[in-house]
Amino acid sequence: MNRAPYGLTLTLALLALILAMLAGAFWGTAQLPWDERLRALFRLPDAQPNLQLIVWEWRLPRVLMVAMVGGALALSGVILQALLRNPLADPYLLGLSSGASAAATAAIVWLPAAFVASFGLELLAFLGAMLAFILTLGLAFQPGRGMDKLVLILAGVAISLFFQSVSSFFLHLAEPHVTRNALSFLMGSAAGTRWGDIPPLAIVLPLGFIVVLASAKMLDAVLLGDERAVALGVPLPVLRFGLLSLAALLTGLAVAGAGIVGFVGLVVPHLARMVVGAPHGRLLSIAVLFGMITLVVVDLLSRTLLAPEELPLSVLLALFAAPPFVYILRRVRRGL
Amino acid sequence: MASDPILAVEAVGLKKGGSTLLDNVSFGLERGRFHALLGPNGAGKSSLMRILYRAETDNSGTVAVEGRSLRDWPRKAYAAKLGALVQEAVSLSGLSLAEVVGLGLLPLALPRAEAAARSAEALALVGLGARAGEDAAHLSGGEQQRLFFAQLLALDPDIYILDEPHNHLDLHYQYVLLDAVKQRGKTVLASFHDLTLATRFCDRAFLLDGGKLVAAGPLEAVLTRERLASVYRIDADFRADGVQIRGAIAG
Repeated sequence: MNRAPYGLTLTLALLALILAMLAGAFWGTAQLPWDERLRALFRLPDAQPNLQLIVWEWRLPRVLMVAMVGGALALSGVILQALLRNPLADPYLLGLSSGASAAATAAIVWLPAAFVASFGLELLAFLGAMLAFILTLGLAFQPGRGMDKLVLILAGVAISLFFQSVSSFFLHLAEPHVTRNALSFLMGSAAGTRWGDIPPLAIVLPLGFIVVLASAKMLDAVLLGDERAVALGVPLPVLRFGLLSLAALLTGLAVAGAGIVGFVGLVVPHLARMVVGAPHGRLLSIAVLFGMITLVVVDLLSRTLLAPEELPLSVLLALFAAPPFVYILRRVRRGL
Repeated sequence: MASDPILAVEAVGLKKGGSTLLDNVSFGLERGRFHALLGPNGAGKSSLMRILYRAETDNSGTVAVEGRSLRDWPRKAYAAKLGALVQEAVSLSGLSLAEVVGLGLLPLALPRAEAAARSAEALALVGLGARAGEDAAHLSGGEQQRLFFAQLLALDPDIYILDEPHNHLDLHYQYVLLDAVKQRGKTVLASFHDLTLATRFCDRAFLLDGGKLVAAGPLEAVLTRERLASVYRIDADFRADGVQIRGAIAG
């Protein structure tokens, strides 16, 4: 098998992430020397106040948020693709994105703006995502039997369709300017991220990563088939329920952080698998880093390509993700 | 039945969607013997085996291994005690052959060097030693079956459960792999459709029909002409070197 050395890949990915985040923090300040930028980054006493304000209040929270959102979606994608043994599974498969969309559009269109502002659109979207996930699980779960993979996917599709129609209903009712607000959320954006938005993902992502990494061998065993995994002593119903809930939580927080960001959770795990193979002990860290790099770079492009206009993240991602996605489809058609 | 079976199945039943897959099945596996689980399609062989390797838990009755109920065994200790070759089609993309075999050692938590040595030995045994680093996605059906045989041989549990072990295998490997299992001297329960193959390897047989155990004992006592006619609907005679089949019984 042709695989890149894990240590080298990990080091290069970490370097690339740091570079991408520095670029994200300092883009548009090209006229300044690097020592000036670093003084602002480390908040040294002689740093330029303007630069420090830009970097610390506007850029860094946003860059950190998109990095975490990318990592969370990639991690969720790896979990779902392994547990459902479906190469086309992604974090939104369980109805999460449409649940979040429906909650967000309903809030934008119907609820008083002051109420939405005080409660937080992010929190409402998160609750919508969790509601959709619980409904999907409820449809798929059979007492004493656990969850059937296929039933779970079908339940996710059914719940997605339901919430999509709810979103469409609210968008249809809304005034045009309100619709535009809702659409910008639906297509993903991290604009306006503040430090206060950071903690949920900053806590859940590293903890979740450790939990999944500790389950890496069991996820590998699931790749051999449900029955083989059970015969090898894997507590499959507990593993499936626990890690799917974690994936839903990560995805819900990602949606709250940057709206609906498609493709990362679907395509990035495949890219990482092509580089370091399927064993999760190696795959997890590389997939999370690739997800972080991807979204930091795409976010940077989204705010610079047509500046001062910002492009939605999903629009750019779809453009970049289409070629590898077609490649994955071809591999799936060939039976991988 | 042996006085001290390593695995005892007592009054096991299983119902799914209104149909009875297993009905009050009781038998015991003798330590160190090779047992055949026989019966036509839909007799309940795979359902029974799935209960034994804990993929099916909705059954009634009890299963005990070394006198301890299946439900009381810790997961890993049970998986190390009883290993299974299962029928489940999967795509193994992204895993090397050595990695697949290594996963079979999950219940044992061996040091890395010992695990690698066991995997390499098992892969060599199934004729895949030279391909240990290849992607398992590129294997044929028969090669994949050999790979899972290697996984089980590397684990080398006290009880082998083999669900149609000859599936996809060419004649050479049917004999090589079943010989390899037999030489380990462990307790084996294997389901077979090829009665001649069963005759070659098995000491005892259990015959299932419609979810019921209709006979148990040495093969010559189980596979009588009458049972071959009533259960398998074939006109055949059991002989020491296999089953001589004259043809199917019409209707």
